[in-house]
Amino acid sequence: MTTSEKPGGKISAIVRACRLISRMNQANPEVPKSDALYYQMLANYYTRLLNAREEGKFIAAHTVFFPSEILYAMDIVPMHTETTTWMMALFLGEQAEILAAGAELGLAPEICSPHRGLAGAFALGALPRPDVMLWSNLICDNTAKSGELIMELNDCPGFFLDHPFQRSEAEEKYLISELEDMISFLEEKSGQKMDWDKLSEIVAGMDRQMELFREIGELRKAVPSPFHIRGFLQLLTTDYLCPGQPEATEYLQALRDELAEMVRQGKGAVSPERFRLMTLFVPPMYLMGFLEKMSQEYGAVSVVEPLFTRWAEGRLDPSKPLASVAKKASLIPERRSMYGPLGEEALKDITTCAEQYRVDGAVYWAFMGCRHTCATIRLFKDILNEIDVPMLVIDCDIVDPTINPQEEIREKLEQFFELLEDR
Amino acid sequence: MKALGIDIGSLTTKALVLDDGKVLASTVISSADDAESSAWAAMEAVLKQAALSPNEDLYIVSTGVGGKSIAFSRQPKAITTCLARGVNHLYPSVRMAIDMGAESSTVIKVNQRGRLNDWVNQDKCAAGTGIFLQQMAKLMLTTLEEMSELSFKAKSRADITSTCAVFAESEVISHVHREPPTPKEEIVAGIYFSVVSRIISLCKRIGIEKDVAVVGGVALNRGLVRILEEELGFEVLVPDSPQIVAALGAAIIAQENMEKGF
Repeated sequence: MTTSEKPGGKISAIVRACRLISRMNQANPEVPKSDALYYQMLANYYTRLLNAREEGKFIAAHTVFFPSEILYAMDIVPMHTETTTWMMALFLGEQAEILAAGAELGLAPEICSPHRGLAGAFALGALPRPDVMLWSNLICDNTAKSGELIMELNDCPGFFLDHPFQRSEAEEKYLISELEDMISFLEEKSGQKMDWDKLSEIVAGMDRQMELFREIGELRKAVPSPFHIRGFLQLLTTDYLCPGQPEATEYLQALRDELAEMVRQGKGAVSPERFRLMTLFVPPMYLMGFLEKMSQEYGAVSVVEPLFTRWAEGRLDPSKPLASVAKKASLIPERRSMYGPLGEEALKDITTCAEQYRVDGAVYWAFMGCRHTCATIRLFKDILNEIDVPMLVIDCDIVDPTINPQEEIREKLEQFFELLEDR
Repeated sequence: MKALGIDIGSLTTKALVLDDGKVLASTVISSADDAESSAWAAMEAVLKQAALSPNEDLYIVSTGVGGKSIAFSRQPKAITTCLARGVNHLYPSVRMAIDMGAESSTVIKVNQRGRLNDWVNQDKCAAGTGIFLQQMAKLMLTTLEEMSELSFKAKSRADITSTCAVFAESEVISHVHREPPTPKEEIVAGIYFSVVSRIISLCKRIGIEKDVAVVGGVALNRGLVRILEEELGFEVLVPDSPQIVAALGAAIIAQENMEKGF
């Protein structure tokens, strides 16, 4: 494997793309303010990463659902590995190159493509070399194993955060002790101390963000629903990249206000609204533009994503910052239904969502690299069938376009819309 | 005005003409290189068979792999929608239909009103399709009809375990050439069983619900249908002309549209 890429070259390209989109959005009065804020937030995140080395900052690479609140509180620059791979797919269209580099490392096509991709990106030298690698078993085996390879590729130390599988007081205490160990590890490696006051501030910010996520979820219940399909990805990356950060709160507040205004005016994301859909798992990231077009063409709007954007009820307490970071892990939407035993409660939540959001049909994006979630397909199909909500299953990959051609996806969605119309 | 349904498949094109709910004629012809020519030829053939003028006023609904590219069709519809309507017209009690075509297999669930409730299809691999059976017949120097008859004589089934059509072919070759060779009827029964296993696996993905109908060209294969029944554990319904069910559904939709004034 050769590392011909200029270090951070792809990050620099992402920053340029985000800045350009943000400037274009600001200049266009038709584009909502939240869109410009979102891209500015992304540009800022990746600019911090791009400049980190020059500014002598400590860089921590971390996998998805890792509590980066702690990194922000310690003035460590985070690098969210899976999201960064998605961004390369979305903004640069360079999936083929980074997936090929992953294949060259011996990673089979059946392995989760964001993880194959991030390994490939590190092998290409396209991402800045981290000072430490942080990873956990939340949310899958791919995540649990990915860190070891990245440590090896970057010849850097790492810390594995063990998330308990069940939810009880004892397990919460265990997770807090794991977080304490991780902080000690980071303090030792970076030479920087945890700023507990700053962590409390970030926890307060995260608590506010969770409230905003819930308010946005409530607004999406309106008929017509005001939320565009592309917003799904924006909600995900906001929490993944900037938890508890003021710029994330500013973006979410702007989005909430825009949606509230649309609801007040009776405006929907699509007009006329013909089909209200529930999205299960994640659609291919590289097809967001195509899906937005189809959404407009067929009047189909995604009103709820119970596995990804529906936060559980619960508040964080800034006076207990570490306990709150641990508690957040039990409230994230993905954790409730995709990690640990899938209980009756999680299944019930799917039908509750379908009813509360007046869903006409559900689309399950069966990501072949995520086998543990694909195991839920039949369960979800059956419980939705009980309340007469049909569910379409589309085999796909989040970032690899070679798995399922766009035309095939179009055909299946058109067939599904025909089914819904005909009922 | 008459209602005409056209189903353009990869091997055959089917057309059916309805007048006030009554089937006037139906036809099955080999598909040409392009969908438009196939549809045109099927329409001419069915009109001739029904003793109707080529200039007959028609409401045409098309479906199948080339359904969207027929310029003279009023409305293209998905094959699953048409199958649901066609099956419900023939058998109102049917809740699940298995369509075994040349290049793909589809399983649909139908509600009491003849509307599609769910579907699942196998279109990524040739194993479990009509073309796979044709290849196997060629390999065994026999015809599809003879294969079907042979399967009734089998006392056991040869193991054809591969999930890929290409590897399954290698397995059949090894059965033919081993010493002593596996009896031909057992190989055929094994081939049918491998196809049936894939079909049943598709059915289970959306939940088996009785009554079950089998349609599509492969449904003409009595031997395969018998093994399907053995594995399902109950009898299935097979129409006299299983290939024209989607065209029938398309014609029914055409008639409904005419009645609604669309």
